Amino acid sequence: MTTWIKIAQVGQVDEDESLAIELDGKQLALHHTEGEYFVTDNVCTHQYALLSDGYIEDGCVECPLHQAQFDLRTGKAMCAPATEDIKVYEVKTEGDDILIAL
Amino acid sequence: MSSAVSSILVIGAGQAAAVAVATLRDQGFEGRITVVGDEAHAPYERPPLSKAVLAAVEAEEPSISVKEENFFPTRNIDLRLGLEVVSLDPAAQQATLSDGAVVDYDRCLLATGGTARTLPGLAPEAPQVHYLRTLDDARRLRNALRSARRAVIIGAGFLGLEIASTARTMGVEVSVVETADRVLGRVVPETFSNWLQARVAASGARLYLGQSITDLQLPADGVHVSLSDGTTLEGDLIVVAVGLSPTTALAKAAGLELNASNGGIEVDALCRSSVANIFAAGDCTSRQHPGHGSLRLESWQNANEQARIAACAMLGIDTAAAAFPWFWTDQFDCNIQMLGLPAPDLEYIVRGSMSPDDTNPKFIMLGLQGTVPRHALAVNAGGDLRALRAVLEKEIAIDAAGFSDTSITMKAYSKALLTSAAS
Repeated sequence: MTTWIKIAQVGQVDEDESLAIELDGKQLALHHTEGEYFVTDNVCTHQYALLSDGYIEDGCVECPLHQAQFDLRTGKAMCAPATEDIKVYEVKTEGDDILIAL
Repeated sequence: MSSAVSSILVIGAGQAAAVAVATLRDQGFEGRITVVGDEAHAPYERPPLSKAVLAAVEAEEPSISVKEENFFPTRNIDLRLGLEVVSLDPAAQQATLSDGAVVDYDRCLLATGGTARTLPGLAPEAPQVHYLRTLDDARRLRNALRSARRAVIIGAGFLGLEIASTARTMGVEVSVVETADRVLGRVVPETFSNWLQARVAASGARLYLGQSITDLQLPADGVHVSLSDGTTLEGDLIVVAVGLSPTTALAKAAGLELNASNGGIEVDALCRSSVANIFAAGDCTSRQHPGHGSLRLESWQNANEQARIAACAMLGIDTAAAAFPWFWTDQFDCNIQMLGLPAPDLEYIVRGSMSPDDTNPKFIMLGLQGTVPRHALAVNAGGDLRALRAVLEKEIAIDAAGFSDTSITMKAYSKALLTSAAS
């Protein structure tokens, strides 16, 4: 059975912004773009940097260090210098709550 | 046009070569691709050489391959390593390799990169003398640094400073000698040089600015360097990081036009050289940049962008123009990025604090021509810089007070500028 965990509230993260979240010792990022929420691992697979400090465009989050891009829906590494995908998590909203399945 | 292209030869096997051949295959080119590189290694990323690779313990050296190991065989690319192209005949459209093989081509891409500029009296063969351009150079320097107590670095450009930073993290005493009176003097304003110099000093590295070498001794156990102000530096090793010479001997012999001032292979916006069917990409090239003259852009981004453009142009396929110039360096616990190109007449404004005491500094400097931003420098603010990119690309005028107001996020500020410019 999937356990849903509340991580934030609707309205807490502006459009095209991200929020760093720590959960069970995991570094996660909550992203808000085009009216949807996405949760990914927060650490870039190329070199240590937080994607929540990055930039969102066209459904991808871009790392602030070297502009590696990851698809928010799939976690796929879209361009160099990253070659390894990031993990993405299932997300839903219930009322004003944003929940994820770890 | 593309139907006539059945074989492509890429000379050089670095970043640009790897990206070019990947683009060729991604664009549907099914013909023969031959890549010839003089190093023993498949294409690798150079930025980590002065950082993660240099600092790594041998067993844990990070993988820096541009493409995964099986990329070349699976994409049917004939990668020939450890070989040089000894001659290139543009009329016959063929190249002769150092093993005697002859390779015909319909299109040829020169991605020959460059070599470290050497200084007289500092032959790369001397055991205590180091240059850093290749993976083998980095491994050799790493081994030397691990047992060194003191290192002398010549050159306070990006590479020299990155090496100094890494050497400090390895516990090596570092002295950096620079002929100019400030670091990165050609690309950043004086206030930025001052900030970085304070950062360098705080790491324990010593900077000797405005100094030339008056005497140099290489005793068996190290190096003695005398400077113009009378200082004598002693080290176990010396690293020379005074720039790059583009590798152009083959291009020159084949009659390609080289730039008279920077020595790079002249290419146009589509990476075409002056000789038919020969293209060039990456560090070996020189190109006109409106308002800046001919430039050799030695950057990871330029190698990638020119590779993509050259690959498409060789096939006669339209592709997007080169991205806005972008560069990064990681040093002294800071990620420093540059967007756009510096110019002599820019006036810089700052967002954030440039206090030398900040342990985690974060600021952006924006170089304005009147009110139009042309050049940006970001310290630990890559996400903010990224938000500004469209503002620089579209040459949108900005107000200094609004830019510096940190109560508004950079994303919101840029978005507002773009929206009002579009309306």
